[in-house]
Amino acid sequence: MSEGIFWLASYPKSGNTWTRAFIANIRREEPEEEVDINALHTGAIASCRGWIDEVLGFDSADLSHDEVDLLRPAIYRWHAQQADDGGYHKVHDAYTLLPNGEALIPADATAGALYIMRNPLDVAISFAHHSNCSIDQSIENMGRPDFFFCGNTRRMTNQLRQKLLSWSAHVESWANAEKIEKLIVRYEDMRNDSLTTFTRICRFLNLPADEHSVQTALDKCAFDKLKQQEQEKGFSEKAPHHESFFRKGKVGDWQDTLTPEQIERVVADHHKVMQRFGYLDATGQPVTALPLDQLV
Amino acid sequence: MTPFHYHAFGLNIDSHFELPALPQATDDASADVRIHTGSVSTEGLDNPNKATPFYQSSENTLWLNVPDIARFLVTDGNSILVDPYPGSDEQSIRLYLLGSCIGTILHQRKTLVMHGNAVRFGEKCVIFAGHSGAGKSTLAAAFHKRGHEILADDVCAIDAQGRVAPGLPQLKLWQDAANKLEIDTAELDRIRLQVEKYTFPLKQPVTEQLPVAAIYILSSHNLDEFEIQQIKGMKKFNPLKNNTYRMGILEGLGLKAEHLGLCSRLASRVDLARITRPNHGFKLEQLIEMISIDLQKKGIVAA
Repeated sequence: MSEGIFWLASYPKSGNTWTRAFIANIRREEPEEEVDINALHTGAIASCRGWIDEVLGFDSADLSHDEVDLLRPAIYRWHAQQADDGGYHKVHDAYTLLPNGEALIPADATAGALYIMRNPLDVAISFAHHSNCSIDQSIENMGRPDFFFCGNTRRMTNQLRQKLLSWSAHVESWANAEKIEKLIVRYEDMRNDSLTTFTRICRFLNLPADEHSVQTALDKCAFDKLKQQEQEKGFSEKAPHHESFFRKGKVGDWQDTLTPEQIERVVADHHKVMQRFGYLDATGQPVTALPLDQLV
Repeated sequence: MTPFHYHAFGLNIDSHFELPALPQATDDASADVRIHTGSVSTEGLDNPNKATPFYQSSENTLWLNVPDIARFLVTDGNSILVDPYPGSDEQSIRLYLLGSCIGTILHQRKTLVMHGNAVRFGEKCVIFAGHSGAGKSTLAAAFHKRGHEILADDVCAIDAQGRVAPGLPQLKLWQDAANKLEIDTAELDRIRLQVEKYTFPLKQPVTEQLPVAAIYILSSHNLDEFEIQQIKGMKKFNPLKNNTYRMGILEGLGLKAEHLGLCSRLASRVDLARITRPNHGFKLEQLIEMISIDLQKKGIVAA
């Protein structure tokens, strides 16, 4: 019997895959080699249709998106009780309540939620590449309160519909979720202060947290190594029209890439949450990420 | 008294529910399967081999719970008991009766049930198998447009002689697939009111059982190329197992050993290949071309 699922929750393009690569490396029994990016096996994404249908015994595709959502808490509860569950499941859905008042991600199936956040100014660039759209379009999508993934009703998708909400609402939904244990980390801290940040992550996720283990795993999943693996053998999670999944992974790319108008729009849409998590300074000007000890 | 008498999957089916999709039975032979209404436990089975909140299976019994639609009890390969939830619609109930329930009946009768579509090529048939969303029905519909008859959609029953018994004379197609195939859905019924997937009736249903000549396992990847990989010898076994209809249910029915035997027997008599297509755009014409060439090479269709 497992003690529940650890959710790796994030808005898209915020460092989730890197985190999964880290987890796969730190859990590896023969630590000499890097884990294959196409075989991370940390656990299915929460919206994976196959993972859902395995519990149903009938096709989720014959139900509407809203109908399937009502079944998801029971499905996660069942998976949480399976001894062989991989344990670390990515989720891009916002933390929402169903019409019956139940949380989509039920507390009693949850060991904890690691919430990975990234400066929305950088997310906008990466998300535009991922979605094959303009940066203006991705900024607009990030501001839409009803934004979702895989919500097409005219064909079947391999993943269930995921309600992302706006970037701000996504962050707040998880950050304010009361009934689950959670750890909120920023991508910028994962990059700039990797050892400290990943040590915190490991303690939270019940993974080995000694310096040697954390540093070894970090070395194995350094951004350049992931990128090199993708160049050599491709990456199954890359979108079809997309040149590469691992692109720049850069902190503060927005300073070189976004126009002043684009920056202004992101700040206008998300200033409250940006302020709360250190992406605006005391005067309200955007910054890459304030040091954690300067956050109120 | 059961008012409706049907014949499908090689079985005479007597039903309390009208199942308009099924062909009428043409003889008075006694029923192989009875579909009736009655009370089905809300809790499930005692000591099931496999149990989720939605299905439980034990030797010869499946308990299936489709919330807000119905609970079903499928037993001994000859009985389906239906307990509708208050306010549920018959159309939805039929969908699960003719899906997971009939699939389980066939498992219990020790028939190999593939998750696939069977398309007629001359006096034989070819099965396109794969997970939900792999494109099985779309591909079958495209062959249908080119004049091929369809034996089975989604639930593909293969008897001990390696023949497919005709299933439901219909294909289920999503709106996008219908558009691609230039099929107007205005006149078609939705499979359920809640989803944009339609029942496309087949005008000339096949009535005879046809031997399986080849099986293609369909999947997709994020590359631009098609791939075809012939699978030989012992390696055929796992793809057959993995593309068995409702494998999770079957495991709990205590039929794994029988199933293993059925897969081995089929493996020894069919050609098997895996086809991987680009997941961006269906590229249906190229897919059909590739399959047609492969079928010619295998001597299943004339060059």
